[in-house]
Amino acid sequence: MLDLQTLILSLQQYWADAGCVVQQPYDVEIGAGTMHPETFLRVLGPEPYRVAYVQPSRRPADARYGENPFRLGRHLQLQVILKPSPENVQDLYLQSLAALGIDPAVHDIRFEEDNWESPTLGAWGVGWQVLLDGMEITQFTYFQQAGGIELAPVSAELTYGLERIAMFLQRKDSIYDIEWGGGVPYGAVRLEDEREASAYGFEVADVEMLRRHLEDWEREAERCLDHDPPLVIPALEATLKISHLFNLLDARGAVSVTERVGLIGRTRRQAVRVAKAYVAQREALGFPLGNVLEEAAD
Amino acid sequence: MARFLLEVLTEEIPANALEGARRQLAAAIGGGLVEAGFEGISVRSLPTSRRLIVIVDGLDERQADRTERVNGPPLSVAFDDGGRPTKAAEGFARKVGLAVDELDNDTGPKGDYLAATVTHVGRPTGEILAELVPETIRGLRFPKMMRWGRGDHAFVRPVHGVVALLDDAVVPLELFGIFSGNRTEGHRVHGPEPFEIDRAGGYLETLEERHVLVDPEERRRRFAARAAELVDEVGCRVHPDEALVAEHVELVEHPGLLLGDFDEHFLELPREVVITTLRHHQKCLILEREDGALAPHFLAVVDRCDDPEGLVRQGNEWVIGARLADARFFFDEDRKRTLDELVPDLDRLDFHRTLGTVADKAARVAELAVGLAGQLDAEIDPDELRRAARLVKTDLLTHMVVEFTELQGVMGGHYLRLEGAPEELWTAARDHYRPQGFEGEIPHSALGRLIGVADRLDTLAGLFGVGEVPSGSRDPHGLRRAAQGVVKIVAEAGWEIDLGEAIVRAVALAADRFETDPKEVTATVTAFVADRVRRYLIDIVGVSFDTADAVMAAGWKKLPELVARAQALEGARDADVFRWLALAFKRVRNITDGQPDGTVEPELFQQAEEGELHDNTVAFARKLGESLATQRFGDAFAAMAELADVLEKFFVEVLVMHDDEKLQRNRIALLKTLGREFEKLADLSKLQIEGGDG
Repeated sequence: MLDLQTLILSLQQYWADAGCVVQQPYDVEIGAGTMHPETFLRVLGPEPYRVAYVQPSRRPADARYGENPFRLGRHLQLQVILKPSPENVQDLYLQSLAALGIDPAVHDIRFEEDNWESPTLGAWGVGWQVLLDGMEITQFTYFQQAGGIELAPVSAELTYGLERIAMFLQRKDSIYDIEWGGGVPYGAVRLEDEREASAYGFEVADVEMLRRHLEDWEREAERCLDHDPPLVIPALEATLKISHLFNLLDARGAVSVTERVGLIGRTRRQAVRVAKAYVAQREALGFPLGNVLEEAAD
Repeated sequence: MARFLLEVLTEEIPANALEGARRQLAAAIGGGLVEAGFEGISVRSLPTSRRLIVIVDGLDERQADRTERVNGPPLSVAFDDGGRPTKAAEGFARKVGLAVDELDNDTGPKGDYLAATVTHVGRPTGEILAELVPETIRGLRFPKMMRWGRGDHAFVRPVHGVVALLDDAVVPLELFGIFSGNRTEGHRVHGPEPFEIDRAGGYLETLEERHVLVDPEERRRRFAARAAELVDEVGCRVHPDEALVAEHVELVEHPGLLLGDFDEHFLELPREVVITTLRHHQKCLILEREDGALAPHFLAVVDRCDDPEGLVRQGNEWVIGARLADARFFFDEDRKRTLDELVPDLDRLDFHRTLGTVADKAARVAELAVGLAGQLDAEIDPDELRRAARLVKTDLLTHMVVEFTELQGVMGGHYLRLEGAPEELWTAARDHYRPQGFEGEIPHSALGRLIGVADRLDTLAGLFGVGEVPSGSRDPHGLRRAAQGVVKIVAEAGWEIDLGEAIVRAVALAADRFETDPKEVTATVTAFVADRVRRYLIDIVGVSFDTADAVMAAGWKKLPELVARAQALEGARDADVFRWLALAFKRVRNITDGQPDGTVEPELFQQAEEGELHDNTVAFARKLGESLATQRFGDAFAAMAELADVLEKFFVEVLVMHDDEKLQRNRIALLKTLGREFEKLADLSKLQIEGGDG
């Protein structure tokens, strides 16, 4: 039986062998692996890149006090970016399943349309959810736009929902029964913090403080972007803070309808500026990782 | 005769894009070939989830030759006196590419002239296809396009291979950087090895050997046969779901189904929850017993022909179990609070950024519904109605409806029923979104009807007010269906309300939310609803379009009355006397249009026919008054028909445009009075009667 950590290690090894940089989770609270600079920024501009990393993804509104066997306020995603998307990307993906001991010859694997959009990041993509015997195990996206910028080259993004895959492979009826590794169950590691995070997010979080900090970080993002030259990573981190604070306020039920639209717009504005600043910065550096568009034109 | 085969191998194409692709491909390839002069060809377009395929049969090896007659200079100019060709003749011969002695002559109105038959030799079919196919494929439009790799091309999904064969010869062409050939691959699991196709002819069979069923109809048949086999094993039948089956056909290259079971305890959940859970996420069909009760079995679609280790079934059963457990969790969570407790949270739910929250909307709907109830003398306590207008929307806040939007209304109904709410209330919650357009039944209770109509009128008034109106096929807010729903409920519930007034009121209630002049909004919504009323008469009541136009011209805003009037006219109009009457009415119209009103003065009558028409008109007006009051429109139209004789005599014997102005005015006034009475029923001039404007 494949435990959670072996699942992670196997995927990391597989994607390292496929030419990926194996990165680490980002050390700022974020809602999805897509917001990690290794995705959000690297997909911009003409430089080729391949990266894989695990990202704990915080969704305060999805927390369920540890009572729902399928839903978590913080779950693990394994994220892979292949830029440009290679010709054999579907095969590469299917082989990654083989690395987990999933033999396509005895399973039903289907690619069913599922597109992705993040208004907060000014990003969208087209792709599928990958179904393994009816279970959604991966989100497979061809990135079309990020930070409001049309992308060329186009990156393929693979997002594995790790707890779901582990549950499925281990045939467990609750996330908390998954074996993490060395005989330790997931619940023993995570259950208590799911309960606490739920209590905090739904009942305790100080709304006034969250609002204040949101304003503060918004100003900070602007300052970093107004700096000459713009400070790209600090500005992105400030934007990620805004996004997380927004999610907390939302879970707390403190965001009115009109305010929501406004806040998403404000976050997107920063994200768009960060994206532009990043592309300019890489251009000024002479695209150190190379230029896919020029190579192919030679 | 040759066969052409095109196969574009792609990554998985969305199911909802295939039907459009199929249509566009057949039309563009077929149209292009016909335009190029190919006759008697047959074109089939058969996409699967991974390939776009076109097969053309009955192709000649080359385009048909085309001959053309070309005229040259007159013979007098083309030959000199000695009969030798002049420069003009030689020039013409050069132009048409023939020798002078291959030319002949024609005779025209101005004499004889030099002429030639020029033959355009048809181009090889392959050449034509090599141009037509890339142009067609690049021109296909999909609901959502994408780019990949370097980002140079836009298509529905990345393309991996192109087979283009004219019988056994490759038609050389290029698509998205890929050159055509004769290599492809079979089913992802059952036949992944690349292979060569020798001839276009054996394509379907070759692919089937590799487990790809190219023809959607064949996939549909296999699905049906397999389903019949499987349900037999457990003595059940499939709970019918045409739309889902149609989607299954597009999802796979090999139409596989498997039977799975789930825990019987989940059947304690409301029926719609179980069906939706299986359908929404898993696209599974559920089985039911003979009495219609759900059975704990499902059919899952799989893209393979077998389940060698039983893992596919096991996996699907696990997922279905997990999904149902999730649904049960939602259900149990939702049941912890009553819907009444959720009412205050409606102001956290957006209806529309300008039109406010669902709480704002529910407040408007409540007032509108109270107004309608007053007009209808419905025995409903206004405060109960106001409460209900809010309660029916609270299920939007429940876990279940957040997860499955399609269960809105249904869940509100279940939760209220389980809370012990009166039937009138829980059915109102369940029904107030029904019917969808003209489809389905109207709400069961008066409460459901009131809220259903008020809710839709508010949606129409608000969205028209902010300018988000349907255009062409785009109707993102479903406003056409909303208006259809209003029409159907009002007509079938027999509400004698003035729909125009109800629209005025709906616009007034929402008007502080938008800047457009409320009068303008009212006019547009009214015209929009009138269009739906007309369609209702034609499509649902079943009268002809001109009957609908004729009765609507006499007023359309009281629907039950309108429907009865339309049916009466539809029944009466085919009688000969009625056809004559319609023509006579047009004549009355022509004479009286634009003439001032006047009172009829019987003492000015000169002829018996005038008096007779006058007496009959008075009698008709009285009968009409009675018929209208009792809504016996059949009688009204019969009384109208009785006037035909008198009117005919009048027209034959009496000169309306008499030199004596007094007499003329009096006669016009008489006809005008009659016309006005007719117009209370219908504008007969709208009827398309043969012999038209006679």
